[in-house]
Amino acid sequence: MSVTASKMLARDWRGGELGVLLLALVLAVGVVSGISAFATRLQHALTQESHRFLAADLVVRSSRELPQAWLQRAQQLGVSHGLTLVFPSMVYAGDDSMQLVSVKAVSAAYPLRGELTYSEQPFGAVLPAAAGPGRGQVWLESRLFPLLGVAIGDRVAIGEAEFTVTAAARSEPDQAASFGGYGPRVLMHYDDIPATGVVQPGSRVEYRQLYAAPPALLQSFRQWLQPQLGDGQRLLDVNEGQPGIGSALRRAERFLLLAGSLGVVLAGVAIALAARRFSERHNDYVAIMKSLGATSARVNRLYGGSLLLLGAVATAIGCLLGWAIQAVFFALFGDQLPVQPGPSGPRPYAIGAATALTCLLCFAWPPLRRLALASPLRVLRRDTPLENRRTLGDYALGLVAVALLMWAYSRDWQLTLAVLAGLAITVVLGLALALTLLRGGRLVGMRAGSIWRLALAGLQRRGTSNAMQVVIFAMAIMLLLVLVLVRTSLIDEWQTQLPPGTPNHFMINIGPEDVQRVDQFLRAQDVASEALYPMIRGRIMAVNGEELPASDDPEDSRRQRESNFTWSDTLPAGNRLFAGQWWSPQTDQAVVSVEREFAERLGIAVGDTVHFLVGSQPLQARVANLRELDWQSMRPNFFLIFPPRLLADYPATFMTSFYLAPGDKPFLNRFIRTFPTVTVIEMDVVVEQIRSIVQQVSAAIELVLAVILAAGSLVLVAGVQASVDARMHESAILRALGARRGLVLGGLFIEFATLGLFAGLLATVAAELSVYMLQEWVMDMRYTPSPWVWPLGIGAGMVLIGGLGVFSCRKVVSSPPVALLREL
Amino acid sequence: MAGTELEILKGITLEIKSGESVAIVGASGSGKSTLLGLLAGLDEASGGRVVIGDTDLGELDEDGRALFRGRHVGFVFQSFQLLPALTALENVMLPLELQRQARAGAQAEAFLQRVGLGPRMSHYPRQLSGGEQQRVAIARAFAAHPSILFADEPTGNLDTGTGGHIIDLLFELNREEGTTLVLVTHDAQLADRCERRICLEAGAVVEA
Repeated sequence: MSVTASKMLARDWRGGELGVLLLALVLAVGVVSGISAFATRLQHALTQESHRFLAADLVVRSSRELPQAWLQRAQQLGVSHGLTLVFPSMVYAGDDSMQLVSVKAVSAAYPLRGELTYSEQPFGAVLPAAAGPGRGQVWLESRLFPLLGVAIGDRVAIGEAEFTVTAAARSEPDQAASFGGYGPRVLMHYDDIPATGVVQPGSRVEYRQLYAAPPALLQSFRQWLQPQLGDGQRLLDVNEGQPGIGSALRRAERFLLLAGSLGVVLAGVAIALAARRFSERHNDYVAIMKSLGATSARVNRLYGGSLLLLGAVATAIGCLLGWAIQAVFFALFGDQLPVQPGPSGPRPYAIGAATALTCLLCFAWPPLRRLALASPLRVLRRDTPLENRRTLGDYALGLVAVALLMWAYSRDWQLTLAVLAGLAITVVLGLALALTLLRGGRLVGMRAGSIWRLALAGLQRRGTSNAMQVVIFAMAIMLLLVLVLVRTSLIDEWQTQLPPGTPNHFMINIGPEDVQRVDQFLRAQDVASEALYPMIRGRIMAVNGEELPASDDPEDSRRQRESNFTWSDTLPAGNRLFAGQWWSPQTDQAVVSVEREFAERLGIAVGDTVHFLVGSQPLQARVANLRELDWQSMRPNFFLIFPPRLLADYPATFMTSFYLAPGDKPFLNRFIRTFPTVTVIEMDVVVEQIRSIVQQVSAAIELVLAVILAAGSLVLVAGVQASVDARMHESAILRALGARRGLVLGGLFIEFATLGLFAGLLATVAAELSVYMLQEWVMDMRYTPSPWVWPLGIGAGMVLIGGLGVFSCRKVVSSPPVALLREL
Repeated sequence: MAGTELEILKGITLEIKSGESVAIVGASGSGKSTLLGLLAGLDEASGGRVVIGDTDLGELDEDGRALFRGRHVGFVFQSFQLLPALTALENVMLPLELQRQARAGAQAEAFLQRVGLGPRMSHYPRQLSGGEQQRVAIARAFAAHPSILFADEPTGNLDTGTGGHIIDLLFELNREEGTTLVLVTHDAQLADRCERRICLEAGAVVEA
């Protein structure tokens, strides 16, 4: 019988009956395996990239020296390890030349991940370094050479130790992570620290232990390490290494999983529709076979076999498609990836095959299983009733399958529930609305012209099945709209976060006397900068008269702490008022504006009185408002803002941020020569890295969206095809009675477009609701209504479904009616 | 019509001897096809019995009747009822394969040769004319050597000339195979070629 099964399949394929079923299966497998493989490989690449930002896989950070025992344990387990220490210090060259720098002492193994670079001369060609400076050597950042007046080979002193300058330090993988250290970088060997004598208990320093190992080993080491951590010792991993990238990646991953889940649901619906049509068309064949002696078991085996064969073919093609999807992506964007994507392994393809099996079992098999019940009497009487009614059990099975597939794929109940809720709304509202409106449409149609009467009568006659069809169309359109909406807001958010020209350099320590000259210098060189913000270093001492604990441990949230104050009459760009009111310009009230999270850590609320110390002078202010701000914006951001008059008498320096194109780097040299006391912090490499990752992820999202759109179109095609036979039959009768081509096609268009109108309307309502839930609960984003989606949803529904309907029925005006009637 | 039962066939007692050829005639709606469906075990009677040989069809379920049909019954239909997915040869092989007969291919080929379709065995039904399709159907019906053959308006979809040839073929094979033939028709000439004629009117036998 398997020969018969394969023959039947081959024949059905040639006859075009299996097209939608096979395509839907292929798409389901392709989407699932492609996205899985892609996500696995991208995750691997990006984890590597993030590890680069840490210069390790795992980091422990503390302001005090970390236990030696941990390194020994790592040594025993075979986990690679390294050490860094960052501290501010003065570096001296000769008697009269000195500079405040940020020293980073590194062990020989540094970095464990990523690349350390140097150049043989300041600002010279960048070279990769196998290790940092040796004992007795230092590398200076390029701009320190002119500032200190030294050259390669000269001697400099840090504390009590002297060093030879052997190279210019160019970049460290974990540069961004130690952003807190101001001043140009000096790299030295970790073992030289004691000789300098500058690092004493209580110094402002940051110790780091770096670890790297294969994932499984790392995981076991991490499990051992975690309970050992004491106060002020923090474990940093990928996500903490780069919060901006971490959240972008998490959202992108969520999006891909969402897209994948929706793709599977769409494919599932298409499969169910196509299988049902397939089974309706095969009722007669089964009747013939039964009249020739085939038992129900035999029929089940035949169709079950066909289905398995189809599943196997679809899985093979689908896995190829999935492989192609991820390969195309990596081929297109592979150059931009800073690290090689890892292998995906066979797992994504196994998931694809499992999806195919589930889809077949839950969506395709129920209608086909009922074929065995077809009555052999149909060979004598074609009007014998069909056994194709869907039972409640079928719908329940389908629903459970959709929920399970979505969950298995996304591992996220919230995401699954948000989409299921949207689908449920579509179904319930859809059936109610469609039945009511279609009935109303008939009343209107009675008074309309013949083409409309024809169309609306057709709609009403098949009321229930039309309502079902509206629901199916609406589901497909809804899922697509959800995806388009989420994708748009995701990419918008990323683009507003880092638009072209985002400041990539910071400038601090600008003296008040230099403010105007710096501003003029920037303008003269056409460098786009943010406003110059005054900056006053102060200490927060007490809240409402209650002293905060004095501690220098950065891990204590509620403590006295140093911070940068600024003044402004207006709410700075990129800041949002969270509570309270902004003050009126020129106010002389003693008020302050506090960043929301900072306020939470210190237990500050609007109306509280906060005591500060600036230098040795006390300052007291009432909290006027709380602000939220975007720390990834690369603008100067401040925890505390005061009205200008309040800070007018305190000593201030100024800061700003500006954008410098890669080719304009020599500007920095001119600037540093002109303003030797100003500190420039270069963030351009970091900004570029974040941007390139965001671009890759956005491109991936677009690619996945295109694939899902194909799955959605398939549902529309399957949905239209489901009713084509009945509609063709009527149209053929009309043609036989002499109806003009325009009347028949026009009637069909109106009929399908009306279905599309209702479906689009419903889909838009449900999509907005779903997106609201998804963004607020799942994607950690702010929901904003999108008015443009209404005309899009409704318009697309009408045009697509109307067009597809007419296209699918076009044969009715090109073939003789008799031939059609005989065929149907 | 609550409470009213529609009686399609009433009080029909009928015995057909092995090897006999019988025509069931009557106007449209007289119950011919219903009777044929019952006799062939395609349908279940709400009352009464149909016994073929030693088998009471009423005691079998649908699968049991299917097995019985496969072993003992052949069909020729007005609308041919060939599977469009299969070639002429495969259509004829189908009932043999359903009975797991070893030499299905050779046997099917032999029958197609006998109905004069030797050169067209690998054609699909849509590539064949109506007469050719009916010849395939006849070959299929006889291939499994049924003991009883049911034919439902076998010439209904054919022109007179072709119809005549088909009937000649049907009777010729019937004679050679020694099959019992039950034929539904409203063609008087065709009915005349049978040994016996049963006339139905409004579900009752009026002439036998």
